[in-house]
Amino acid sequence: MSKYVERFQTPERVLHWIVTVSFFTLLLSGLGLYSRLFTGYFNLFGGGVNAILVHKTAGVIFFISSISLFLKHLKDITKFDDDDREWFKTQGGYLSKGESHFNIGKYNPGQKIFAVYIGIATMILGTTGLFIWFPLFFPRWLVQLSLMTHGLMFVGSIMFVIVHIYLATIGNPGTIDAMLYGTVRRKWAMKHHPKWYKEVSGGE
Amino acid sequence: MGENLNQATRKGFLVDSSRCIGCRACQVACKQWNKLPAEKTVNKGNIENPRDLTPVLYNRIKFIESVDGDKVSWKFFSERCLHCGEAGCIKVCPSPGALYRNSDGVVVFNKEKCISCKYCVSACPFNVPRYGEDDKVAKCDLCHSRITGGMVPACAKTCPTGCLTYGNRSALIAKAKAAKKTLYGETDLSGLGIVYAMDGSPEQFGLPATPSIPLSIFLWKDVIKPLGILGFWGSIGAMLLHYVTIGPKRIDDDDSDEKGVGHE
Ligand code: HEM
Ligand code: SF4
Ligand code: SF4
Ligand code: SF4
Repeated sequence: MSKYVERFQTPERVLHWIVTVSFFTLLLSGLGLYSRLFTGYFNLFGGGVNAILVHKTAGVIFFISSISLFLKHLKDITKFDDDDREWFKTQGGYLSKGESHFNIGKYNPGQKIFAVYIGIATMILGTTGLFIWFPLFFPRWLVQLSLMTHGLMFVGSIMFVIVHIYLATIGNPGTIDAMLYGTVRRKWAMKHHPKWYKEVSGGE
Repeated sequence: MGENLNQATRKGFLVDSSRCIGCRACQVACKQWNKLPAEKTVNKGNIENPRDLTPVLYNRIKFIESVDGDKVSWKFFSERCLHCGEAGCIKVCPSPGALYRNSDGVVVFNKEKCISCKYCVSACPFNVPRYGEDDKVAKCDLCHSRITGGMVPACAKTCPTGCLTYGNRSALIAKAKAAKKTLYGETDLSGLGIVYAMDGSPEQFGLPATPSIPLSIFLWKDVIKPLGILGFWGSIGAMLLHYVTIGPKRIDDDDSDEKGVGHE
């Protein structure tokens, strides 16, 4: 029996990396628009006009890819069961050193919340982004509200993404294999997602 | 607020609306000095013309018509950038040098630096900045090119009745107060560069009674922006702290490619 078990097929991994690359492109091209403290980031794109152009292009790519990823995950991330509630009680064991065991399916509740947040944030960022893109075609109050909301949803997203990157890399060794190679070690699966592991290994 | 505004040396206008006769010489003078083309306008059965500021119309006289029996009367309002002491447009402009305050305390712009984001349109309490075919900001700059050379702005120079007077802002205010005028814009938004002596309420002239930077723009720039920066570094700090205190969730595994066995 192989030491590994498949977690993500290639299309899903490619989609995830398109989301990631477009997200960081948006971050870098948007920083200069966020505050004059970050005007220097415009230079990465050869000035503010180009940065805005890049931001709009990356925005469209991010919107389409992120919504696709969200829809792909939809059935796995929107249902919370009793095992998930158990996980919440001790924050998934992330706040203590001791060994912890949870009967978790494909995604743990933290991952579900992250995925749902990113899905909703993508829709809001996309909609408000459209209003900001054509400010003269929409009522002033709507564009004003959009500027504020766009900033707010971005702040939420970057904070979530920082936590996500930590937990997907050094915080949970072995996890990044899932997105790099599509397979994870069986021991990893047994520890982090036992219910899911039972499903996929039972069928093999 | 981060803007360097010297209230004592600040230049501005006093607009005494009771003196305006609606001749619109100021509109023409502005076009001439700033080399702004004429535009086709529409007749709406009223002599007000044009009916809104445009990318090539930096000031205009608004006609406020009132009918009393068979008598029609007008109030005239000189609509233009008010050169706010606390300027929403400067606050949001992400491109340094596109919108800035000059040494006379006047809010001026540089089309070459403008990156066409149009944030200033949303942030202006008076809905002043306009965009033309060049997709760049356009508004009154109090004749920056004239006043830096010691000349009076074109519109004020032309005004035949003394409705528009240009000068040291505090001196203009002192004079108007001595003449017992009711002023608009003396203190709002750290004082408007254009102060109105009004024969009527602000609302009658289509002005907000207490002008302020739109609430969502304030929240965006003064609350979300600083908290967001804090949140960004806070998240990174929290993750690093977690890593060195509680530590990662390692997997007990002899043939693991991770070094050592965890303390789980
Ligand atoms: C360097 C950056 C990133 C790395 C290393 C990374 C890594 C990973 C890994 C390893 C997984 C699989 C987790 C598992 O198998 O349980 C994953 C899932 C996921 N990633 Fe990322 N990711 C990154 C950036 C992003 C960004 C920017 C977004 C969205 C804005 C994102 C959204 C997601 C979503 C929605 C999932 C599904 C599972 C969940 O909700 O956690 N990722 N990522
Ligand atoms: S009136 Fe509008 S454009 Fe003029 S200085 Fe104030 S905020 Fe800026
Ligand atoms: S449109 Fe131009 S002037 Fe207005 S905020 Fe953007 S860069 Fe500044
Ligand atoms: S001050 Fe100059 S730019 Fe402003 S309205 Fe008068 S003429 Fe036009």
